[in-house]
Amino acid sequence: MTSLLGRRRPSRQRRPVVLLRPVPGTSVIHRLWAGTKLIVVFVFSVLLAFYPGWIPIALTAGAVLIAARLAHIPRGALPTIPRWLWLLLLLGMVTATLGGGDPVLQVWSAEVQIGGLLKFLRFTALSIVLLGMGAMVSWTTNVADVAPAVATLGRPFKAFRVPVDDWAVALALALRSFPMMLDEFRLLYAARRLRPRPVLPDARARRRRWLIEMVDLLAAGITVALRRADEMGDAITARGGTGQIAAAPARPVARDWVVLGICAAVCVVSVFVEIRYF
Amino acid sequence: MTSTRPGAPSRNSPDMASAPTGRSLTPVEMAQAAVMAALAAALAIVSVVVPFAGGLSLLVTVPMGLLGYRYRLRVLLAAAFAAATVSFLIAGISGFMVVLNCAYVGGLTGIIKRRGRGTPTVLAVSVLAGVLNGLMVIGALMVLVRLRTLTFEAMTANFDGVVTAMSKFEPFRQGAQDARAVFGLALQYWPVLLMTYSIFTIMLVSLVGWWALSRVLDRLRGIPDVHKLTTLTESAPVAPVPVRLTDARFRYPGADHDALRPLTLTVEAGEHIAVTGANGSGKTTLMLLLAGRQPTSGSIERPGAVGLGRLGGTAVVMQHPETQVLGSRVADDVVWGMPPGTHPDIDRLLDEVGLSGMAERDTGGLSGGELQRLAVAAALARRPALLIADEITSMVDQRGRESLLAVLSGLTERHRMALVQITHYDNEARIADRTLALSASSDNMVMVAQAAPPAPSVEPAAVGRTPVLELRGVGHEYAHDTPWANTALTDVSFTVNSGDGVLIHGGNGSGKSTLAWIMAGLTTPTTGSCLVGGRPSHECVGEVAVAFQAARLQLLRARVDLEIASAAGFPPSDIRRVVAALAAVGLDGSLARRRVDQLSGGQMRRVVIAGLLARRPKALILDEPLAGLDADSQRGLLRLLTDLRRNTGLTIVVISHDFVGLEELCPRTLHLNRGVLS
Repeated sequence: MTSLLGRRRPSRQRRPVVLLRPVPGTSVIHRLWAGTKLIVVFVFSVLLAFYPGWIPIALTAGAVLIAARLAHIPRGALPTIPRWLWLLLLLGMVTATLGGGDPVLQVWSAEVQIGGLLKFLRFTALSIVLLGMGAMVSWTTNVADVAPAVATLGRPFKAFRVPVDDWAVALALALRSFPMMLDEFRLLYAARRLRPRPVLPDARARRRRWLIEMVDLLAAGITVALRRADEMGDAITARGGTGQIAAAPARPVARDWVVLGICAAVCVVSVFVEIRYF
Repeated sequence: MTSTRPGAPSRNSPDMASAPTGRSLTPVEMAQAAVMAALAAALAIVSVVVPFAGGLSLLVTVPMGLLGYRYRLRVLLAAAFAAATVSFLIAGISGFMVVLNCAYVGGLTGIIKRRGRGTPTVLAVSVLAGVLNGLMVIGALMVLVRLRTLTFEAMTANFDGVVTAMSKFEPFRQGAQDARAVFGLALQYWPVLLMTYSIFTIMLVSLVGWWALSRVLDRLRGIPDVHKLTTLTESAPVAPVPVRLTDARFRYPGADHDALRPLTLTVEAGEHIAVTGANGSGKTTLMLLLAGRQPTSGSIERPGAVGLGRLGGTAVVMQHPETQVLGSRVADDVVWGMPPGTHPDIDRLLDEVGLSGMAERDTGGLSGGELQRLAVAAALARRPALLIADEITSMVDQRGRESLLAVLSGLTERHRMALVQITHYDNEARIADRTLALSASSDNMVMVAQAAPPAPSVEPAAVGRTPVLELRGVGHEYAHDTPWANTALTDVSFTVNSGDGVLIHGGNGSGKSTLAWIMAGLTTPTTGSCLVGGRPSHECVGEVAVAFQAARLQLLRARVDLEIASAAGFPPSDIRRVVAALAAVGLDGSLARRRVDQLSGGQMRRVVIAGLLARRPKALILDEPLAGLDADSQRGLLRLLTDLRRNTGLTIVVISHDFVGLEELCPRTLHLNRGVLS
């Protein structure tokens, strides 16, 4: 899929955000059933939401890192982290350290209370692990495999009259349309850049102008999207409505069960340690 | 040939009428849900990644609001699920929550709009929604004790740190201590705080969303509905051929002329018929009748049901490659929509349309011609008795066109089916057994007068030519330094002089669009330089104008005069300059007050060019200027551009995969192949 910003500052090359496109190549992680990856991410997220302790964070982070290693994810896959984010992180660390709290660390003769810092670091680590898990899914999963997996996973919900099949088809088509929509916005953004900036007297007029411009952009985007939707509706009708969405939907195999087993083990160990010792 | 999209569902919208509650989504509902979901997800992501667009996140509610306004709740729910899942795949759990929230608020505003209520209702409902949302968040945090404790402790640590630092300075000490007290109090009463925050934000987002939705709906009134096919409820066994039309005539409801004049025609099994005719002659309408619409008068007889998309029934392939293909992977697209349990021989089908070995490829990377051949394969998978190919070559480049025709030409011999091939190119009809030429209905042609071409206003360009665009060793790599790195251009050097007409010709993926973006300064090349009048192009964006292929996306304002004024940078009240700008592209001044959505494709292109030219650009780049236009509009636009170049000395660069008819406009041609000039 497209990288979002075609424009780049010539002075310092930044790595762009590349969306929904797996890292080229294949590996055991690439070959896992998409549903397995979704389950693991879901289970780990729930685990971390209930027990955001160091042990669960370390275990899940370890799992993510091992998976990244197995999937041969190069460092270049990470987008460049903007400098202000580093600064913000540093600022947070400094203020959290000043906040004090137990435990106390002896640095030569000085005593530093690092309780606050530890809390801050734990919170930051938690956020990074959550982001990392999501990133691993998009780096190793072909978008075409997501909707069939969701359809399979959602099957139990049919008992509650959730229209799982409809939702899976909508998801498949949304993933198919997403790159077109992104291109649309890239183009809208470019079209806007090509125009002269209106000279406006004051901040209020500028704000107003900005709002109106956003609505203009949105209206143009929606108009084109509606046309696309009309045509797509015709294409669906021409195929006799909805039905299959994948030629050979994947099923979980042995390696998936192994991964799910590891995932379960991580959860059991984490919960046990958290309840027993904290 | 189009009816008007109802602005409100109450005006007998076909979508609402054909959608009984409690049933699964109709094709139209499904497509709308998916596209709006993709739009909402894209908005949410763009608002995070692109610097200027932060506020766009407030508008993620609008696509969902639109769905809530126009369709059943079921559609909204499917779209919300799809959008949330897409953003989950990109931004993780937080993306999921953001989009879900926006769907919640947007859906509510849409439903309120549909009920015809006003701002007070929005306020009241948003307070209620805020309370509900707050209760849910509080409930979740009540359960997730440890997460709550950690978050609060981390916040307290940061806050205490700031307070400690401030307290070192005497003048701030008191304030800092007070702030700590307030902060502590706030954490103690966190549910109250969260509830207030929830109500406030939901109210704000609802009001902004409501305002934006109202404005967008205003703008969407009068957009032509291009949706054509309808699902039929048929009980008879499927048998669409032989089909016999007797004096069949069709008029769209509310139209004042026939879209198809009385026609008598028989399509026998195994026959290959070509249908030709200009725009407005009723070619597409004939397709609709063959696909199951009832004629306004006359009769249409067939032995059984039409069976649109069913096994042994009728298959239709249409014009736009991108929206024809529904699967994300080639093999998936072939079976897309077939009843569960049917397994056609995918490899054989792909072989037949010349896509051998591509079953596992992503459809996103296919060229227009390949996409259309894939759509034909998907049609053949249904072993249709009647295949209708409706202008499937018109959006495809020359090579793609030839390969498509090669696929079509032997179909009726290899399969037991009738083929109706609709085309506006007479030379494509020669592969058919017989040709039916439809004549245009008299009052159905060009609806807006086009003024005479502009008189030469400037002396022919000076002969002493100066370089306008200089490219020296330009190379570009997308996603540089990542695993997805993709070289689009390598060492491209050429110069365009003032008054030149240059065609940059290249196929799909040749890097020609990247080149256009670089010349316009929208993309900074990774290596080499692109100079506009001696300055790097990315430092003078706007001096070189670009008319993109998707003209509609470049028309950002609602009305022609506003659009031209905005693009050119003068006040919209200056009607004289608007009219002059329109005249320069051969459009009548009476178009000035027209809404852009009521323009034809050719007029849209011209209005874009008018806005760009009014700024007196150093050069005009046109990306596929003729794509999607019918033959008449193509000729007219070419004439206009040629005259402009000759009479005003305008420098023109055309980017195209076609060179038919461009010789006069662009005497100089550069061939681009895989990013290299040859």
